[in-house]
Amino acid sequence: MLYFKDLTEIQQMILVILGVLVFATTLFWIWKKIKPGPQVDELMTRTKSWWVMASIFTTAALVHPLISFAAFAFLSFAALRELSSISKNARIEDRSVIFWAYLAIPVQYLFAYMGWFAPFVVFIPVFMFTWIPFLLVLKGHTQDIARSMSVIPTHLMLTVFSISHLAYLLSLPELPHFNAGGRGLLLFVVFLTEMNDVFQFTWGKLLGRHKIIEKISPNKTWEGFIGGIISTIGAAFLLRFLTPFTTVEALGAGLLIACMGFVGDIIVSAIKRDFGLKDTGTAIKGHGGILDRIDSLAISAPFFFYYVYLICYW
Amino acid sequence: MPVLLRVVGVGIRNKGAFQGQKQFIVVANHNSHIDTMALMSSIPAKVLNRTHPVAAATYFGKKSWLAMISKLFVNTVLIKRSEEGGESTALDALDKYLSNGHSLLIFPEGSRGEPEKMQTFRKGIGVLLQRNPHIPFVPVYIQGTGKILPKGERLIVPYDAQVTIGEAQLVKAKEIELILEEVKEAILALKDYK
Repeated sequence: MLYFKDLTEIQQMILVILGVLVFATTLFWIWKKIKPGPQVDELMTRTKSWWVMASIFTTAALVHPLISFAAFAFLSFAALRELSSISKNARIEDRSVIFWAYLAIPVQYLFAYMGWFAPFVVFIPVFMFTWIPFLLVLKGHTQDIARSMSVIPTHLMLTVFSISHLAYLLSLPELPHFNAGGRGLLLFVVFLTEMNDVFQFTWGKLLGRHKIIEKISPNKTWEGFIGGIISTIGAAFLLRFLTPFTTVEALGAGLLIACMGFVGDIIVSAIKRDFGLKDTGTAIKGHGGILDRIDSLAISAPFFFYYVYLICYW
Repeated sequence: MPVLLRVVGVGIRNKGAFQGQKQFIVVANHNSHIDTMALMSSIPAKVLNRTHPVAAATYFGKKSWLAMISKLFVNTVLIKRSEEGGESTALDALDKYLSNGHSLLIFPEGSRGEPEKMQTFRKGIGVLLQRNPHIPFVPVYIQGTGKILPKGERLIVPYDAQVTIGEAQLVKAKEIELILEEVKEAILALKDYK
C-alpha cells in the first residue's frame, strides 16, 4: 500500500494540483446539471484552460531544467510581445529599441541558468535601464521620448525581470534537510499565486460588497481580498512541505504572495484601463491574454524570491 | 514557416475557410510583406502551387534577384501599375491565370501604405471579378502586421497581429464600382471577428 506521505514532495504536489482540478471540474459539472447558464459555461471554459495551463506548467517545470528555463524565457517573450502590442505609449520608431528589449531575454535567462546572482539582479535594472534610454537618445527623436524611456523598461520589468525569478528558483544552491528544492519553491509560489486569484474571485463573488478601487478594477472587493488572504495563508500552511520554512515563515509567505498578487493584478488592470481594453490578448480561452494570467505572478514571483533569499541564503 | 510566423506574433484565424476551395481570388488589405507570407502559409498545399500573389513590377521587378526569389518561393505574378500604363495588359495577364484554373492573391490597395489605414481600392479587382463572376473571392482582414515589418524597414520585430480569413463567396454586384464596394465591405466585416 502506497501512502501519501511516502511520496516525494513533488509527487504529492502533483496530486494536490490534480485534486484541485478534478474538484473544480466535478463541481461545475454538477452545477451545470442543476442550474445551467452562461456563468457556469464561462467557469467551465476557464477550468478547461486551467487543465491545459497546469499540464504545460508541470511538464515544463519538472521534466528537465533546460526545458523549464526555455519555457519561462518563452513565457517572458510572449508576455512582452503582448504588452508591447497593446501599448499605445511606445512609438512606432521605438521598434528597433523594443527589439533590444527582446534580446535581453536570453541574456537574463542565461544568468538565471548559470546561477550568476549578481549579473542576474543587475543586468536589467542597471544595464538595460541605461541602454534603452541611450539607444532612444541615439535615434534622435525627442518628441515623447521621455514616455518611451519609462514605458519600455517598465515592460521589461513586468514581463522579463519578474518572471525570470521563477526560473532562478531552480538555480538556488541546495539546502541541507530540504528535499523539495527549487522545484518545490517554484510549485509553491506559482500554485499559491494562481489559487489566490481564484480565492479572491470566489470570495468576491460570494460575499463581495465593498469595492476597493472601483475606478481600476470594479470586481475587486475588500471581502474578496481578505477572504483571499486568509485562504492563501491556509493553503501556504498546508503546502509548507514544499518549502524550507518554519510554520510561521510559511504563513508569512502566504500573506506576502496574496498581497503582492493583488498588487500585480491591479497594476496590469490599470494598464489595460489606460488602453481601453478588458483583456491583454486572446491567447488563453476564458482568461484573455497571457499577461491577464501572469499579472499577479509578475509581482509575487520576485517578492517571494527575495523572501526565500533573505530567510535561507543571507 | 507557420511556427516562425507564430513566434513573430501572427495569428491566423479561420484557416478552414480555404478547405475544399479549388479556385479563388484572395482579397486582403495590405500593410507588410508579412501579409503575403501569412496568407500563403494558410493556403492548403494542394492548391498552393497554383496560387499566385500579384505584385507590382516596379517594386519586385526592380532587382532581378528579388524577382527571382519571389517567383521561386511564392509564385509571384508581376504586373505594371496603372500609372505606369500597364492597366489592360496586366488585367489580361491575370485573366489568363484565372482561365487556366489558377488562383490569385490580390491586395487591392495597391501598396502597403501606413499601418492600420485602409487606402482606396484599385479598380483591377473589380474588373477581374466582373469578368469572372463564377470564381469566389475570399475576403481577408489583416491587422497589426504593419508593426512587425513596416514599409521601408528591414528589422522584423515581434508584435501580435491577426490575419482573419472570411468565407469564400461569389460577388453579387455587376458594376465595377459596386463590386469594389462589396469586396471592401466583406473585408471590413471581418474586423470584429471573434
